[in-house]
Amino acid sequence: MIEYILMITAIGGAIIALIQRDLLKAAILTAIPGTSLAFLYQYLMAPDVALTQAIVGSAIVPVFIALAVKKTRRTDEPSESEESGGR
Amino acid sequence: MSLHPANLLIPLMVIIPLTCALLLNVLHGKDRTVKIISVVVALALPVLPLLAGYGTQYFGGYVPLAQNSAIASGLPTSITGSALSLFHPAITYFFGSGQKLMLFILGVVALFSIFASLYEVKRPSGVYTYLLFMLAASIAALILTDDIFNLYVFFEIAALTQVGIILVSRVKGNYETALKYMILGGIASPMLLIGIALLLGVTGNVNITDIAYSIKTGLVNPNSSVLLMACGLITFGWLYGAGLPPFHSIKSAVYSKALPNGAAMLQAFSVFMFVALGIIILRIFGYLPFTKVFIIGISLLAMVLSITMAITQTDFKRIIAYLAVGELGYIGIGLGLGTVAGITAGLFQAVNEVVITAFLFLGFGTVLYKTRQSDIRKLGGMMFESPKSAFLVLLAGFAMAGVPPLNAFQSKLMLIQATLKAGIPELGVIMILLSIVTFMTFMKAFYAIYLRSKPKDLKILEKKIPRVTMVAMVAFLVICITFGVFPQLAIGYLQPLAAGLV
Amino acid sequence: MIMDTQSASLLTASSLIIIGIFGTVFLDNLIKKVIALGFVGDGANLFLIAMGYKAGGIVYIFMPGMSRDWFAQNASYPLPFALVLTSIVIGASTMAVMLGIIIVLYKRHGSISASKLLGDGNNGK
Repeated sequence: MIEYILMITAIGGAIIALIQRDLLKAAILTAIPGTSLAFLYQYLMAPDVALTQAIVGSAIVPVFIALAVKKTRRTDEPSESEESGGR
Repeated sequence: MSLHPANLLIPLMVIIPLTCALLLNVLHGKDRTVKIISVVVALALPVLPLLAGYGTQYFGGYVPLAQNSAIASGLPTSITGSALSLFHPAITYFFGSGQKLMLFILGVVALFSIFASLYEVKRPSGVYTYLLFMLAASIAALILTDDIFNLYVFFEIAALTQVGIILVSRVKGNYETALKYMILGGIASPMLLIGIALLLGVTGNVNITDIAYSIKTGLVNPNSSVLLMACGLITFGWLYGAGLPPFHSIKSAVYSKALPNGAAMLQAFSVFMFVALGIIILRIFGYLPFTKVFIIGISLLAMVLSITMAITQTDFKRIIAYLAVGELGYIGIGLGLGTVAGITAGLFQAVNEVVITAFLFLGFGTVLYKTRQSDIRKLGGMMFESPKSAFLVLLAGFAMAGVPPLNAFQSKLMLIQATLKAGIPELGVIMILLSIVTFMTFMKAFYAIYLRSKPKDLKILEKKIPRVTMVAMVAFLVICITFGVFPQLAIGYLQPLAAGLV
Repeated sequence: MIMDTQSASLLTASSLIIIGIFGTVFLDNLIKKVIALGFVGDGANLFLIAMGYKAGGIVYIFMPGMSRDWFAQNASYPLPFALVLTSIVIGASTMAVMLGIIIVLYKRHGSISASKLLGDGNNGK
């Protein structure tokens, strides 16, 4: 049962992280899918991968992103390219 | 266990440049030491493959059960009698005659690329030499490895190194191009990884020989849709890695943002990635009827798109970059024909390609070195400034277009003969036409840079072209002429590899 | 439950990949693009892990007291897990390099918008 909840939090966390306007919040929310995946790996019988993912996904990656946000700007740019999107 | 002493050299071809790269990082700041170590290791790069004997390296000494009677004797026949006893339990490096030639050429290009960087850059102990060594090590691993996940890891290392080489070049717009390339890579390499995962899921193996064996002998259903999907995803990763369409544009941007000697190595990376993963696709998915058709189609597309793009450019670095990407198509046509003659010709073209592009990049690099200008509309009259390098660049262009005494003539001739033999003469005609267009594009750039009169506002710096660069160009010319006059020298090495694929 | 754990994991993996690709293509903010790329990588890793999962099996660690045959029949397949370890580290380092580039670009141009930085004009012509 728990694994299904973890899957849902992973997907939900990913979506929530991407729709934030505040980038720092997005950075911290990245840890939710990271941590859920780590627990999920434990349920999928990969304890060593779970350990690595727990450190990388729930600590290192969010910290990297938060540092990058701190060095750049915190919010989405209020730009005219809102609807044009794309790369 | 096969512990022939010469076989120990097989992993060393990857380990030595890798260790050297890491060591250079530690020695940061000690210019003299760094220079000495770099020169020694760079000299070792082309020598090692010549000394090493043919063979297979099992990492950790884990040989297949069939060759390891000590363990096999204690096991039930349900294991020793089945395919399990043939499977490779560890990462395997295979070193045959084809690999020998490719690694030798890679070594020569890396040698001169590193030398040129040591003498053109004032402080050799920067991060640049480290990146070049790292790239040399990863390309060597790409050629040697028989393990598809190992290939993926070294491909990722090489792609990161490639980004590093662009970042240190200080060419305008390099960061933007690097980020774009990485974003595309961030989608494409997980796709490649999923392709590998699917193969692993179906066959339970990551060793290419074993996967091909399982499919060929019917241990897994060859027509299963999962395998088709794996084929598609791995081919997608191949397009990204080698810079075929739709990635040809970003790949040529990457070349033009690198320093000339770095660009030579980057092209070596693309070509060998193309060959390594192309061979893997042929080995695993060669039985699917549309694989070869797809390879030929995408190669044609790459040639046509890149060469037409090259015509419209005004930056000579972009022109050579697009021509270099376009030349990849010739290799692909050889591989896609699927005959021994075709694959041999394709591999021969690949080897020539690496040498000629390195030659061209270094040659045009001298122009950049003297003028700091890469727009052909603002250049001119360089013939009188450096007649020797102008002559060498002209010969390089001849080689690329396939003018008789030089090497690409032989490989393109072989390719055309192979297309005739395979019953697709149209391909031969297209290749000849595109060769002519390539030559015209090259001559346009050559005329603008060297032959027409010098524009008034062009400043030429009072710097002598480093002797190393000239030596490198002469050495590449010697290789071009040698393979052009004695093509058997190369073909003899490549044919066994091609024959093993059919 | 409608689905067994393995299929559900595969579904999660594919959803993560789709969310990631969607975010990479349609979001303009470069940092968000990088976050989205991270999800693509996570999805691929989960995919590999789900490949090696064995329903009702045990963790692939050989404990004293287990018989060899019983272990061989019940343990999950460890090879994909070894691959994922490498893959996670590669993903993290790639992400670090990308964020570094973004910081440099922000210092130069004062923007982290993809359409401004990577748009048509900067193609390197």
